[in-house]
Amino acid sequence: MLDDLIALIKNFNGKEYSGQITDKTYFFADLGMASIDAVVLAERLQDYYGQKIPFGLFLKGLKEKNAQDIQLGDLATFLEQHIKRG
Amino acid sequence: MPHISLNGTKFYYQQEGNGPDVILVHAATSNMALWMFSGVIEELSQEFRVTAYDLRGHGMSDITPTGYTSHDMATDLIRLSDALELQPAYLVGHSFGGVISLHASTLAPDRFEGIILSDTYFPGLSSIEPNLNKIPIWEKWKNVLVDVGAPMGDILNFQDLFTAVDSLTSEQMQTLETTLDRFSLRWLLSLARLAKTSCGNDIFQEAGLTLERIVEYKKPLVALYDEHSAFSATKQFLKEKLSNCIVEDVPAANHLAPLENPMVFNGLIHKHLRRMALGPCSGPLRK
Repeated sequence: MLDDLIALIKNFNGKEYSGQITDKTYFFADLGMASIDAVVLAERLQDYYGQKIPFGLFLKGLKEKNAQDIQLGDLATFLEQHIKRG
Repeated sequence: MPHISLNGTKFYYQQEGNGPDVILVHAATSNMALWMFSGVIEELSQEFRVTAYDLRGHGMSDITPTGYTSHDMATDLIRLSDALELQPAYLVGHSFGGVISLHASTLAPDRFEGIILSDTYFPGLSSIEPNLNKIPIWEKWKNVLVDVGAPMGDILNFQDLFTAVDSLTSEQMQTLETTLDRFSLRWLLSLARLAKTSCGNDIFQEAGLTLERIVEYKKPLVALYDEHSAFSATKQFLKEKLSNCIVEDVPAANHLAPLENPMVFNGLIHKHLRRMALGPCSGPLRK
């Protein structure tokens, strides 16, 4: 899932990233994304996996941890737990 | 990506769920990510078809040089509703999104069934609301910019705010990078793109939504005001003058209830939409 995520973000929303992206990379702070980019990422991931993903649950978890940013490793773990493989 | 062209301007939108139509209208300087981060889309889409979109000049919708009054943006909303062939919808508007929602409902009453607004200031009620300059978000960002030497007056003026951000020097930017978190900094810098538009002035125009027009609104209205809202006079006015208005407070919130207290905010939105759209026998909320 992390590899899928990184591949998607490497060329995302009209922006190309040549730097290294890892599980420790932060979506806003490191990649310079804006809030609206998170909406697009959610949409892209749902298209890619062909199913609805409960991002509200993920964001609720972030709030409970008082996290201000999305670390890609955390998102990949969440996807592992919620993507139903065909 | 779902974009729709309305009268030559491209708007970004998303739609989820099935059921009665609900349209979420964000505030000026915000974008539809607000609704995703608050979790309200996920909660409401269990029982409603929820449409969220970026206002013109915001998020991923086109920027236009003009066209940001509540009348202009209410016209966008009506066009969006028509283009997506929505059933008469319920509107949820945060801050200026509430002005757009009420304006759209007065322009096209047959297209909308009811409104929930959140901490909304109406330019048409400026004569009864003394606290416009006390919006905490204005105070905060004015002080941030004044602290780095940007020219800002005391009177609330979003055009000044946009221009000040657009005119920041590299030294001022470096100072801001050390004092603001990245998320806040990115939001602030995004305002620069509105500097060359009429948005900052337009949003404070009455634009036809006068006090008299507001009082004439007869459909269901829920006015949510944040516990620490600056707009207590507006809240009291709506409660007294609009017979179909229910007023509720959102605790522990200060103009940004969808983010500051999403659990209570989402619960109130869901409860009132169910009451309005599904009737009093709609049963308990699904968890």
